[in-house]
Amino acid sequence: MVSLQRLPVPRRTISSIQSIRTTRPFHTIHHRPSSSPSTRTTIQIQIQTSKPTPLTSIRPYHSTLHPRPPTHEYTNSQTAILTASLPHIPTHGFTSAALTRGARDAGFLDVSVQLLPRGAFDLVLFWLASRRGLLRGRVEAGDVFGEGAGAAEGLSVEEKLRVLVVERLKMNVDVKGVWQDALAQMSLLGNIPLSLLELHAISNDILTLAGDTAVDSTWYARRMAVAAIYASAEVVMTRDPTPDLLETEAFVRRRFEDKEVLRGKVEGVGSWVGFWGSTAVGVGRSWGLKI
Amino acid sequence: MSARSAWRALHYSAKRRTIQPTTPYRCFSCTRLTFEQVKPEHERMTHFGFTNVPQSEKESRVGAVFSSVASSYDNMNDLMSLGIHRLWKDHFVRSLNPGTPVANRPADAKDQGWNILDIAGGTGDIAFRMLDHATNINHDLQTRVTISDINADMLAEGRKRSLETPYYNTPRLSFVEANAEHMPHIPDNSVDLYTVVFGIRNFTDKQAALNEAFRVLKPGGVFACMEFSKVENPVFDAVYKRWNFSAIPLIGQVVAGDRDSYQYLVESIERFPSQEEFRGMIQKAGFLIPGKGYENLTGGIAAIHKGIKPVTPA
Repeated sequence: MVSLQRLPVPRRTISSIQSIRTTRPFHTIHHRPSSSPSTRTTIQIQIQTSKPTPLTSIRPYHSTLHPRPPTHEYTNSQTAILTASLPHIPTHGFTSAALTRGARDAGFLDVSVQLLPRGAFDLVLFWLASRRGLLRGRVEAGDVFGEGAGAAEGLSVEEKLRVLVVERLKMNVDVKGVWQDALAQMSLLGNIPLSLLELHAISNDILTLAGDTAVDSTWYARRMAVAAIYASAEVVMTRDPTPDLLETEAFVRRRFEDKEVLRGKVEGVGSWVGFWGSTAVGVGRSWGLKI
Repeated sequence: MSARSAWRALHYSAKRRTIQPTTPYRCFSCTRLTFEQVKPEHERMTHFGFTNVPQSEKESRVGAVFSSVASSYDNMNDLMSLGIHRLWKDHFVRSLNPGTPVANRPADAKDQGWNILDIAGGTGDIAFRMLDHATNINHDLQTRVTISDINADMLAEGRKRSLETPYYNTPRLSFVEANAEHMPHIPDNSVDLYTVVFGIRNFTDKQAALNEAFRVLKPGGVFACMEFSKVENPVFDAVYKRWNFSAIPLIGQVVAGDRDSYQYLVESIERFPSQEEFRGMIQKAGFLIPGKGYENLTGGIAAIHKGIKPVTPA
């Protein structure tokens, strides 16, 4: 007991907290209550010196340390070849033949496809990244949910997710016939890491665009759920004979229902375990256990 | 009788000794002698293996090395690299994929295949592989290769080998003796693919050769180079250095009877810039670098560097 009293007072932790506080006024936190009766709020962190942005371009998050990354990391010449190759994909598939033709259209030589070290897989990646950017652009332009920030308030996050997944899948209509090539390319052992990264990026974008701002422990679970639904719907899409991807849309709807059911089950099990756990702890304490 | 023949042999050999060779005697083991030759004080020096020589002299010295190894070149490569150099060369050609497949050729194009310039490709190793690839894989019968080498002996070896290929005496294959740092016979913007495989190490002025490559390439043309490089794993590097400095000169001595040429070879490998430095040199010449810019082979013993000439000069 005597030795306990000699313990030094933890002054260092207090001083470090103060030092954090001094830097705090650098940022302000805006809580922007939404106009609808729903309790959803958008948290936005802005630097004081930056001028206020107009409402339409407000993004749900902002950080000066992490500016929005470009959807792909290709140089100008690479982008020129890849963009010119996109129209050749429906006829030639995700192959080096499409790249060669694209290079020729862009004013390059046949040999210039050496600019793309991964060859056809670069074309797949560029397709995915550019469609992802396109989806983001269309949502921000208000083409998907309608104009203005308040237009989409009628839809819940779940419904928006479903709309966005279908919207993204519909961008693949032209390349539906050759999409299995791309899936095959993505499933090659060396290409799997980049493919998974792109799958994470699309699910992350879809969730963000749907207005999902929660940063709790289900962050990973929700991204994995969207990624699983999106990836499985892509496979279904390659076998979908309907021109407007009606079957795929129905498939996506069913999967979202499944997801809800699964979430209900998991939450039920969680609350059951939590209830019995806390009950057991309470019973134990009433018996005098030091829990 | 025997005494007479012995006398005759001695007599003739004594006579023969008085004949001076037209080319100056070049001895690598006695560097002291060569350094005693008149040498202007102010001349720029460059490295020749681990020794420094005047720039004007490096060319002839490298020439002497390759003249002496030309005939045993392939056997020696097999022994030194344990046959791996064939895999590297195959991979190099496959990744370049020379030749336009017939199916990809636009109907209206007056396409005449690729114009490939193979620098320092005297023995035709790369040139024949590229022509084979274009013919057999892409069914392109118009792609042509110009083999350029500074060394007439290496070119003679390549000519001899081309007899056994279907490209002998066709317009698809030609040989030029030229210095890669200055090629006035090749017009600007005329080459699709410029390759230099295990050659640029020996150039006196590498940057000048890169600038010349940039000049002759068409906009969009590709500079591709395979060269020995730096091993990245330190443990493997130690093993590799030991092999280089102990085994290779010995193999050279036993098989080719020329230790000094192979001593020069390993020293020049050691002196060649690292992957990043050489990438910087390619960039400095004006090329675009695709991706990382180089691809390591067998842990970095060799590396493939690529650069693309921009379509609109930046």
